[in-house]
Amino acid sequence: MTHDQELWLGVECAWPKSSAPAQRICSQRVRLLLAAVLVALGGWQFARGAWIQAKAWVAQALIAQAWQRTLAGGTQAKPWPWADTWPVARLSVPSLGVERYVLEGADGATMAFGPGHLRGTVLPGAAGNSVIAGHRDTHFAFLRELAPGSTIVVQMPDGSYRVYAVRQARVLDRSDGWVAAQEGPARLTLATCFPFDALRAGGAERYVVWADAIDEHKDRGGERGSD
Amino acid sequence: MSKPEKRTLAGRIAVDLVASVAIAAALGIAAAIALAGVTLLFASQARAAEASGEGKLLLRPRAGGEPLEAPLQSTAVAFQVSGIVARARVVQTFRNPGDGWYEGVYVFPLPENSAVDRLRLRVGERTIEGEIREREAAQRTYAAARAQGRRAALLDQERSNIFTASVANIGPHETIIVELEYLETLRYHDGRFSLRFPMVVGPRYIPRGVADAARITPVVLRPQEGRAPVNPVSIRVALDAGVPLADVSSPYHQVDVKTLGEGRREITLAEGSTPANRDFVLRWAPRPEAAPRLAWFTQSQGGRHYALLMLMPPDAAQEARLPREVIFVLDTSGSMAGASIRQARDALSLALERLTPQDRFNVIEFNSTAMALFSEAREATPAQVQRAISWVRSLEAGGGTEMASALKLALNGSDAGSGVRQVIFLTDGAVGNEEELFRLIRERLGDSRLFTVGIGSAPNSHFMRKAAELGRGTFTYIGRVDEVGARMSELFGKLEAPVLKGITLQWPEAAHAEAWPARVPDLYAGEPLVVSASLERLEGELRVSGVRAGRVWEARVPLAGGAQGSGMGSLWARAKVDSLMDSLRAGAQPEAVREQVIALATAHRLVTRYTSFVAVDRTPARPADAPLARADLPTNLPEGWEYDKVFGELPQTGTDSRWELLTGILFLLLAVLFAPRRGRLA
Repeated sequence: MTHDQELWLGVECAWPKSSAPAQRICSQRVRLLLAAVLVALGGWQFARGAWIQAKAWVAQALIAQAWQRTLAGGTQAKPWPWADTWPVARLSVPSLGVERYVLEGADGATMAFGPGHLRGTVLPGAAGNSVIAGHRDTHFAFLRELAPGSTIVVQMPDGSYRVYAVRQARVLDRSDGWVAAQEGPARLTLATCFPFDALRAGGAERYVVWADAIDEHKDRGGERGSD
Repeated sequence: MSKPEKRTLAGRIAVDLVASVAIAAALGIAAAIALAGVTLLFASQARAAEASGEGKLLLRPRAGGEPLEAPLQSTAVAFQVSGIVARARVVQTFRNPGDGWYEGVYVFPLPENSAVDRLRLRVGERTIEGEIREREAAQRTYAAARAQGRRAALLDQERSNIFTASVANIGPHETIIVELEYLETLRYHDGRFSLRFPMVVGPRYIPRGVADAARITPVVLRPQEGRAPVNPVSIRVALDAGVPLADVSSPYHQVDVKTLGEGRREITLAEGSTPANRDFVLRWAPRPEAAPRLAWFTQSQGGRHYALLMLMPPDAAQEARLPREVIFVLDTSGSMAGASIRQARDALSLALERLTPQDRFNVIEFNSTAMALFSEAREATPAQVQRAISWVRSLEAGGGTEMASALKLALNGSDAGSGVRQVIFLTDGAVGNEEELFRLIRERLGDSRLFTVGIGSAPNSHFMRKAAELGRGTFTYIGRVDEVGARMSELFGKLEAPVLKGITLQWPEAAHAEAWPARVPDLYAGEPLVVSASLERLEGELRVSGVRAGRVWEARVPLAGGAQGSGMGSLWARAKVDSLMDSLRAGAQPEAVREQVIALATAHRLVTRYTSFVAVDRTPARPADAPLARADLPTNLPEGWEYDKVFGELPQTGTDSRWELLTGILFLLLAVLFAPRRGRLA
């Protein structure tokens, strides 16, 4: 044991065994150094992880303001001046108290700030299949809590609402691009990475939730009836 | 060794053991706490929705209980080509295979410059002629007929090249035929005419929260579903070229060509019909000695004369080309990250390599800010070009899309003198301020020409096409990496040989002529000038002038004695509607434009954004108590497109944040353990 420890502590510490104070000093120095390195490493890693989370949630607050401008008649209101994207819908799950602003484009840069609408699919609320992807560890962490029958409410830029009911959820592979198929009834397809508790990014599995539209468009004031 | 020493040693081993165990335990506890903390922080209670079993059902269109038993549909197209104009009759057959009453809705494309001037609804023996109405009025008429159980057809224009046909109350096992007709001016390039019939609306990039996104996004049929492609199309072309023909060919379809005379052919599809999944193109070339240099068609209609001019400038092959100044603008914003920026860098490098020392050039990149390689355009010496290429190769994507500042830098009002100034813009067009950019182009274009090159799988084509049009240039779309070389060579081959610029038309005073397009684009090798005009009198001469290789070139066309044409009024009206719609971008009053377009479209019976065709059968067909279902007719995916390629993989949606938080906490805990403390190991 002692021998092992010596090896581990290195040549510098090969003082005579009997010289306990000297060893303590040496060990203290090494520990100080180690601790410093660990603090630096730990601080760096923690800051990086926290930065991702902070970015995700602060951005949603900024996007909320852009959404208010959109509802007030603005088109493609950018949440911040240099943004490459803009909110296209507000998604909420009343039973979970969840509220997310969906951004245009499901690329990595966009999804850091909010769930992204996959270009080439219809916009949320429109007839057809609207595909939205989000990060499993930030905005779309709530997908695991959606059970069949859960209600999802989509608010569109014109202020009108559409209600969806979750049909089912499945785990698929990332190559299952067919989920973006456009035919069929009006529905939402929400996708995120799976498993939810995975520590590292880059897995091949995706968790996909389907929700069907269960009503016609509804206006805020209800002045426009369905025909 | 003395006893005390032994005791000390034993004690130290014991202490070491205890310490090791303590460290291990602390590590374990730390890991557990960290995990728990992370879980508590960022994951809410896990009520894992069960990954439900075989869910193939959801793919099927009928999954939601909403039936999509689409009425089978076929299309027959007959073209009558005379000289440089083609009239097409498109016959769409809606057939209901089921026992219910259906409304069929079908989104389909037509050529960009087509003038749709007729709609007929055929039910059995009866034919109902469509009427042109203001769009909203037409939709109301249609909706009323639909509710009353009458058969009705509605034809709306969604974009200049996308239309929607709706047919209400198709009875059980009934067939309803919708016939529409349109006119178009043929494309003539490099001594060949070409006729194009688009057959499918590809999945589109929807540039903004457009209210009508659903109307221009057809339901796409999944190929794997074991169905035959929908909507078989049959095509027949009666070709009367007016001049002796050298050859006729169709690049994408097998065709049978029957020779009826020196300049007359009849062309049909060899297989009878084709699935509507790829555009039909027919090309024909007059014999070289008979190649038309000038065509002047006139038609009298309602007291005015309508005319179509096609004028071919003399070949420029032997002449010196105009000196050029080429400004390349590359979008390096965040949306270009990945394959798009690589494609763009390749395309730009290819373009730079093609420059010659007579050319002058500059390169501008922009994301949140715009930056130019040189302070002003420089001669394209090999050394300068090499410098530019290595600079371009080093560019990475990231940041915003401040396109306005790049446009300002590129369109800086500098004059190209007797040469040509070409601005080549490589971007995916992911911008929100389209109108502002259009205004900027209009105001600052000056003597420059703007060519847009669309990069990536889903560029904003609408923006780029319009920007190029305002910039008097062209739009090139590059969808795949392996197309970069071919498409760029094509574009540059053309750009390197501008023939005629600054073209102006001078009509005789007495003619009171109104000609479109008002702004004539430059002509490149092999391109003719095409102008539509409305005239009061066919007297005097039209003078066409332009600058060619620094010298003024002029041609005179006597207005009297043109060949008799047909449909000239519709073509002229369509050209004018286009110009009116464009004037909206220049800040014209929307209401005034709308009124003008409606008046023009009503007089010439044209479908526009503001006017639609509606045809209603007077006899009610559907019993009042029978319900009406709606079927969106699926569209085939374009040939060669793979479903998964269009929509690609599902995006990457995890981050390393938890991993980083966890390892961070672990490191910090370890640091605490290793922090020097007095009296621990003594």
